[in-house]
Amino acid sequence: MTIFNKCATSAAAILVASFAAAPMVQAEEVIKLGLSTPLSGAAAIWGKGAEFMCETAAEEIREAGGVSVQGETYFFECLSYDNKYNAAEGTKVAQALFNREGVKFIGGSLGTAPVRALQSLAERQGALVFTTAWGASLKGPEHPTTFTQMNTPGEILPELIGYIVEQHPGAESVAMLNPNDATGQETEEIAATVWGEQDVEIVASDYYERGTTEFQPIAARLASFDPDIIDLGATPPADAGAIFKELDVIGWDGVKVVEVGTGADGLKATGGDAAEGVYMGAGVTFNADTATEHQIKVNERAKEAIGESLNAVQIGFYDSLFALKAAMEAADSVDPQAVAEAMPDVTFKTFYGSDIGFYGEERYGRVQQMRLPIIVTQVQNGELVEVGRLTP
Amino acid sequence: MQTFIQLGATTLQIGAVYVLFSLGLTLIFGVMRIVNFVHGHIFAVAALVVAYLLPILVGGGLAAPAAYVVASACGIAVSLALGAIIYLFGFRYFQRDLVGSFILSIGLVLLLDGVLLHVFGGAVRGVPEIFPGSVNIAGAQITVQRLFLCGVAFLMAGILYWTLGHTKLGRALRAVAYDHEAAMMMGVPYARIAFFGFLIASLLAAIAGALIAPVSIVSPVIGTDYLIKGFIAVIIGGLGSVPGAILGSLFVALVETLGGYYFDSSYAAIAIFALVIVVLLFRPKGMMGRA
Repeated sequence: MTIFNKCATSAAAILVASFAAAPMVQAEEVIKLGLSTPLSGAAAIWGKGAEFMCETAAEEIREAGGVSVQGETYFFECLSYDNKYNAAEGTKVAQALFNREGVKFIGGSLGTAPVRALQSLAERQGALVFTTAWGASLKGPEHPTTFTQMNTPGEILPELIGYIVEQHPGAESVAMLNPNDATGQETEEIAATVWGEQDVEIVASDYYERGTTEFQPIAARLASFDPDIIDLGATPPADAGAIFKELDVIGWDGVKVVEVGTGADGLKATGGDAAEGVYMGAGVTFNADTATEHQIKVNERAKEAIGESLNAVQIGFYDSLFALKAAMEAADSVDPQAVAEAMPDVTFKTFYGSDIGFYGEERYGRVQQMRLPIIVTQVQNGELVEVGRLTP
Repeated sequence: MQTFIQLGATTLQIGAVYVLFSLGLTLIFGVMRIVNFVHGHIFAVAALVVAYLLPILVGGGLAAPAAYVVASACGIAVSLALGAIIYLFGFRYFQRDLVGSFILSIGLVLLLDGVLLHVFGGAVRGVPEIFPGSVNIAGAQITVQRLFLCGVAFLMAGILYWTLGHTKLGRALRAVAYDHEAAMMMGVPYARIAFFGFLIASLLAAIAGALIAPVSIVSPVIGTDYLIKGFIAVIIGGLGSVPGAILGSLFVALVETLGGYYFDSSYAAIAIFALVIVVLLFRPKGMMGRA
């Protein structure tokens, strides 16, 4: 047999095999889920963890048989882009995800400023968006295809601030600091209201630019007001740790709060011992006594992959995939509009262990908020400890 | 009074790093007449290498100060190597070409942004304190780490100033900065002097990066913020002027400190940029510049 004949025969065999396998290949449909998160800078740890959790959930759904819609089986694929926590990059990410990648579902997004850009384009294209962003302006009846995948200030602050006031009845004043962007501004508005409702005087409410590397003047200014409490609001972990460190050097010793605080490691990386005693509103603990085997196993893998324990921000990127699965199967459709219509009525198993659904009609005018437990944590002896929990 | 002393100490601490950073920028411009945006990445590489190596060395049993010295030496070496490569394969061909060097440095910035993110990851790296504790100087609280940083920064500035004024290399650098053609006619090897000048600037950036690692938030984007402040300091002080760079850096640090304390750090950032506009309008050469 000549070489040409051998090659021709092999090619024909491959072609036949391809046609035979084609039905099997075509049966595996992939739904791309876009992620718009910071993968660089002070908040990069959230973005990396978000990516990890999305991929973990996608893998678990695959192993469980995928998403069944109209006789077809679908699997999720996570596509992550770096929004650098600003609107300009968020716009580029939105365009890349929708126009280049053709995604119709955003599995998760982080940062009010970049998410505003994303939401604007998503709504024009009829895409469904999940977000952990804290801006209240992203929610409501005007945004029918946006759903929130973690607790935000409206849910966290009454519980967190209420607990702090109860623990520190002598604390009468608070100085607030937030990043100078949409997230910080919208968080500040809600926090100011809640502190006021608790009869705590707001002696200062400042903003700082993301990307700041020198926090000494900021810390000096906050300390100059002699507040009993310093609330760093939506400040990411690395920045918050640096600020508390500078406050420690100056000699300020009061109640420390980071509303969006997600874990001890991020604070300790830049704050060292100054992270001790910080109260946080988005941290999650995984003690052997209270955590499930699944939670402990995934958390251990997360620590290997990203270097620290999981937190509420990242867990949202796991829950959104199971919510999407439930809504797609309930709607028996992968059309984003149909899925969005079905989403408010579905229940699914959250990473926290229970079956949950959505709520939020009273606060936001629309059922779009995942009904998640609100957990208050504190750094005690270098470790994150759960000190309060409310299940709405 | 206490407040003013503390603010003064804060100004010096913040200004120290800006001084080291901007000295390198102004030296490159003075000698080669190019604006080097890659300076921030040379600074960042040193900080990242220190942040990466230090925990490994400490975990391996080395004492923190010794580990810091070793990690810093490695960081400075890597930064110098990067600087040498960038010069030999890039800027060497664009000397005294503002437009060409501008485009080249922007391209290198984009390239290095991606490379650093890929190699080091985007997350912040924590660096343990090397010299713990703080001291009280005339009522101002300063950490020992920051005091060390200030000491080294001003020592390096002093050494550079002395070098430029009292050594053959320094005189050659100044000659080239004043009039490179006349210097060449007098036998000054311009190509070699430009290379040394670029390396000295990279060394200053690398030392600044190594010093800042234990006191700042180290990530691949750390160079960008310092680059902006460094350029502002150099513009205010005058491109090509070493005393101008020192003055400009301290001025920027002063505005940042006072603005951040009395108003809001966001207003301080606006004030710094407003200052640049005012200087460019009324004194384009800067306070002490010749360019």
